[in-house]
Amino acid sequence: MTNTARPSISRRHVVRGAAALTAVGLAGAPSGAAAQGKGKIVVGTWGGDYARLLNKNIEQPILIKSGWEVIQDQAGDPERRSKILAERRLPRGTTDVQGLSALNMFQMHDAGVIDAIDYAKLKNAAKLLASMKYSYGVGHIYSGKVGVYNPKLINPAPKSYKDIFDPKHANRLGIIDIQYQYTLVCAALAAGGKVDNLEPGKKLLLECKKAGARIYPTNEAFAQGLKTEEFGIGVMWKARVVQWQNAGISVEAIAPSEGALAYVSGFVIPKNAPNKDGSYAYLDAMLEKTAQEAFAIDMGYNPTVTNAAVAADLNKRIGFAPEEVKALVDLDYAYMTQNDVALKEWWDKELKG
Amino acid sequence: MAELSAPADRLTAERRDGSFLTASVLLGPATIVVVIGLLLPILILFRYSFNKFEPRLMMVEAMTAENYIKFFTDPFYTNIFWTTLRVALLCTLVCLILAFPLSYILARSNSRYKNVLVMLVVLPLFIGNAVRAAGWMTLFGSKGALNAGLLQLGVIDVPLQIMFTERAVIIGIIAVNLPYMVLTLQSVLEGVPRDVEEAAFSLGAGPWVMFRRVLWPLALPGIVAGAIFCFILAMNAYATPTLLGGPQFKMMGPLVFGQFRLNNWPFGAAIAFVLMTATLVLAALANVLIHRRRR
Repeated sequence: MTNTARPSISRRHVVRGAAALTAVGLAGAPSGAAAQGKGKIVVGTWGGDYARLLNKNIEQPILIKSGWEVIQDQAGDPERRSKILAERRLPRGTTDVQGLSALNMFQMHDAGVIDAIDYAKLKNAAKLLASMKYSYGVGHIYSGKVGVYNPKLINPAPKSYKDIFDPKHANRLGIIDIQYQYTLVCAALAAGGKVDNLEPGKKLLLECKKAGARIYPTNEAFAQGLKTEEFGIGVMWKARVVQWQNAGISVEAIAPSEGALAYVSGFVIPKNAPNKDGSYAYLDAMLEKTAQEAFAIDMGYNPTVTNAAVAADLNKRIGFAPEEVKALVDLDYAYMTQNDVALKEWWDKELKG
Repeated sequence: MAELSAPADRLTAERRDGSFLTASVLLGPATIVVVIGLLLPILILFRYSFNKFEPRLMMVEAMTAENYIKFFTDPFYTNIFWTTLRVALLCTLVCLILAFPLSYILARSNSRYKNVLVMLVVLPLFIGNAVRAAGWMTLFGSKGALNAGLLQLGVIDVPLQIMFTERAVIIGIIAVNLPYMVLTLQSVLEGVPRDVEEAAFSLGAGPWVMFRRVLWPLALPGIVAGAIFCFILAMNAYATPTLLGGPQFKMMGPLVFGQFRLNNWPFGAAIAFVLMTATLVLAALANVLIHRRRR
């Protein structure tokens, strides 16, 4: 037997191999660049259904199809807001657009870390509802905080937030811990307060708690409680109610007479977004008629553009009558931002304590 | 320094230099990772803990102890700290009691199935904490498997409230930490020769006396290591208290994250440092006290 079968790597082999790899790399470069097409868009978003539907309804059919590469950076909004703040000093950030609630969009604008939106760069801007045109962000979908109740347990049906946050419901009233901001405002409206004066709401919530109201940690735990009939009344986004009804939970929704509190989910552009053309391409794609209609069907949220057609039966379940749309109540973003920590401390110490 | 002229001295110096170089190469990557990935962020966080929080501006550069003062002067936060400490100590104690017999059997076993038994202990570690907690949720819920079973058997009339209680969190943390304790104790007990136990028995000691006078003292360093490990994990638990404790039960880990959710980084950093310092001090103290007693 000779040594010829044994593999040996000499300096010459290494140099030749490296040269060959470089040549292949150079030859492959143009095709790689071609595959990238228009470039890369990094999207900060919540995970779960929302991320899946962004991919299904916006990224795949519109952006990727037209040559963009889209990468999702999935995390909860607190983590992503922290990331935007942590990256504020970097000349180039890591995301091109970030999905946030209207309140969080305002907070990031207030912190000076996001760009003003140049609506001239969005061809779909003309169709965007005026109320969804924030100077610092674009509304993607919206819903309202409606009253939810199980008709088997609650009779007669509530008509207002006042009927819902009523201590007489005792332990049949359910409250969601992570929705403390909106719950406080709903309770304030129920108690005759305003979006910038939540003190009456605090008092009312304490009375409800004393009467036995249950606090659930998450939306999912709340849904589970509704399903098992641990409680029968509370407040929630109308879009979620549709999802729960689809899941077979016995639940009905009412638009409160005080006006439903609006929830808007939108997108912002970090000041140091590396690909601003990509940012605007994403914002424009999310406002496309087809994408907006698909979100209404798949997620139960209302379109933010005027040209989206929603079937009458679906609109009855997810939408609001014109007078209800007119009555929608928005948070006082500045007030909420200024008082958020204090409100959460009150919630944790006084209400849950 | 004297000039190295003799060939032997030169050789020693070269070897020393070579060893130093080898040590540097071996330690370098890990040191760089620890410094960049752990020490540097901790230092940055420590600096943040002295900053101020302004709602509209988020974090404002400052040098103030107000975050620490707020924590230690507000009973709401100190109560959370004491709850965390109580839960961590209780879980550590229960883990020790449950793990010791199991570890002893594993350590002394000559069975050909020993590896299978060890794998069974390790198996829960293959599942993430959050997933495990989700499993406990389906078991503990008012219409969960446990309540449904007990109701079916007529043992109870109304479902037991286990979810969203301290009890549920303690059970959950014990389930998470138990394998760590078992594995640590098993390796320590395997290092205690069977001969010393037999010697104690041959000198007339009963099982309890042998355990107290021979096995326990010999295994003590490992027991302390396992207990400290378990204690640290329990003090810093996040997923289990969040998912099983519900909105009204608070521990330090979720409290830290809660502050970051609110963008209150300075206070979150201060709480993180209180938690880290308390955990390290208590762990070090236990170690020192035990070793001093052994001397």
